[in-house]
Amino acid sequence: MLKLLQNEWMKLWHKKGTWVMLILLILGVFAFAGLYKWTGNLEKENWKAAEEQSIKEQQSMISAGDLSKDELQEAKDSIKISEYRLKNNVPPVETKSTESYMEEGTILLSFISLFGTIIAAGIVSSEFSTGTIKMLLTRPISRAKILTSKLLTVFIFVITLAALSLVLTFICGSILFGSSDGTDLVIEGNKIVEASSIGHTLYMYVLNFGDIFMSVIFAFMIGSIFRSSSLAIGLTLFINFMGASLVMLLSKYEFVKYLWITNTDLTQFEPGGFSIVDGLTMPFSLTILVIYAIIFLVASFITFIKRDVTA
Amino acid sequence: MMKPIVELKHLSKNIKGKEIVKDLNIELFPGQITGFLGPNGAGKTTTIRLMTGLMKPTGGEVLIDGISLAKDFEKAISKVGVIVENPEMYKFMSGYKNLLHFARMHDNVTKERIGEVVSLVGLENRIHEKVSTYSLGMRQRLGLAQALLHHPKFLILDEPTNGLDPAGIREFREHLRTIAQKEQVSIFVSSHLLAEIELICDRIAVIKSGQLIEIREMTTEQQPIYYLEAGPDSEQLLTTQNYVFEKFGNGYLVSIDRDAVPKLISKLSSEGIDIFAIQPHHQSLEDQFLEITGGGQIVKASAK
Repeated sequence: MLKLLQNEWMKLWHKKGTWVMLILLILGVFAFAGLYKWTGNLEKENWKAAEEQSIKEQQSMISAGDLSKDELQEAKDSIKISEYRLKNNVPPVETKSTESYMEEGTILLSFISLFGTIIAAGIVSSEFSTGTIKMLLTRPISRAKILTSKLLTVFIFVITLAALSLVLTFICGSILFGSSDGTDLVIEGNKIVEASSIGHTLYMYVLNFGDIFMSVIFAFMIGSIFRSSSLAIGLTLFINFMGASLVMLLSKYEFVKYLWITNTDLTQFEPGGFSIVDGLTMPFSLTILVIYAIIFLVASFITFIKRDVTA
Repeated sequence: MMKPIVELKHLSKNIKGKEIVKDLNIELFPGQITGFLGPNGAGKTTTIRLMTGLMKPTGGEVLIDGISLAKDFEKAISKVGVIVENPEMYKFMSGYKNLLHFARMHDNVTKERIGEVVSLVGLENRIHEKVSTYSLGMRQRLGLAQALLHHPKFLILDEPTNGLDPAGIREFREHLRTIAQKEQVSIFVSSHLLAEIELICDRIAVIKSGQLIEIREMTTEQQPIYYLEAGPDSEQLLTTQNYVFEKFGNGYLVSIDRDAVPKLISKLSSEGIDIFAIQPHHQSLEDQFLEITGGGQIVKASAK
């Protein structure tokens, strides 16, 4: 299996497109760092004044009375944290610091999702379109193993890119912004505790992988069933872009809860996250995603193993 | 009798209700090169795909060295080297990386073996260049190289000389001969180039509409036939002397042994009949092929 992975990895990096993606990602990190540094509010604001301002805003929102239960809870928590900061003199993480830049940097993961989709869509279908599939399948290796090696290669690819973007944003952030003196605070149960900002960034990365893996697996399935990478890329992107609107449109029906597109965004359960459909929870979404992932993979494996190769 | 390396037993394949291959039985032996002929649409490529596991048969089985391809694919296919149609390589990688790629998919193919194969097919100078810069002939050579990496006992070639220049074809032929004789590899070649098959093969198998209609040794001499062109009275002489003959062009095709030729000549000359020509007549594989498959009609019928 290791040799098969080596093979797939070698083929992957011999394609120009892969290097283009890598370069785009690196450029993306730099461009985002530049944007983040030189746009927006440059002055260091007085954090105490800002916290007081925030408390007032939250209170007026609560008194307006049109908040949902979750939103109400969030506003109350926010006030609690601001009061705690003022009382104990704990400054927040500044907006122009490595920590905040890295956290904002999770936006780069949507690039990785796109690149992963493109690779996953092509990794099986390109073997068919170039005819090399005949060379690949007349070897003493089962088709299941070959498909597994391809799937794992895509996973390793997206994880590598994510790790790279994490490291790069850290380096860029350290150079451009320097570390923050502030501390993140969160409410755990009824207590206010300090949170590690880097830890939270990592957690956001992990949550984003829900979306990345689902896109990759979906594109991989379409690519291996229909042997067309353009169809796979198109369909996956269409679902990614239109998914939210579709869910919104159908949100009054119960079955929407059980669609994978409703559940792919795991960051919706984080503070500040927004669920289109009510009543979703992290364990529920994870279960739905795992079930769909298994269905998609079983479909790709069965068609790949059973197929008569005529390419 | 030698043990066959490959046995096709009652092999059949239906695609969308059409019988592409019907109850095919062929045995292939070590050291023997078998040509596989048939008009377009006869089921040659399908048969080859069934033999390489690219397609699954709807009936019957393929045994390679006694192992069923369907039951133990990995073990059975490990003895087979395949070039299906044009060898499609990863064009964005060098020839060497391509070979490395395929070598990793077999057990015990060393770097030395890759070097050995590269020099066998004469690609040493260009092996580190990208395959996209290769000519068709060079790709064919690379195709042969990848098929030989793992010392296969059985080599399947589909249209192997497609795109080779005459020198290349000749070299290719010699490679195949050497491999068959030295390593006792059984080789199965499908081709449309009948003259080519005739030069390479020890045996031919002909299929038509998915059925094997002829399998014959090329090495066993056919009944010798001589072409005779002589004066008008010769026909009468041939008849009275009980020769087996038929009219052919301006003369006759006479079935006689080589030893009997001088006797025939002296008879003719003693009768005062003019002799213009007498020469061994060789029926080309093309003639035989058209005779066996019934020529154009069948091609048309099966192309429908």
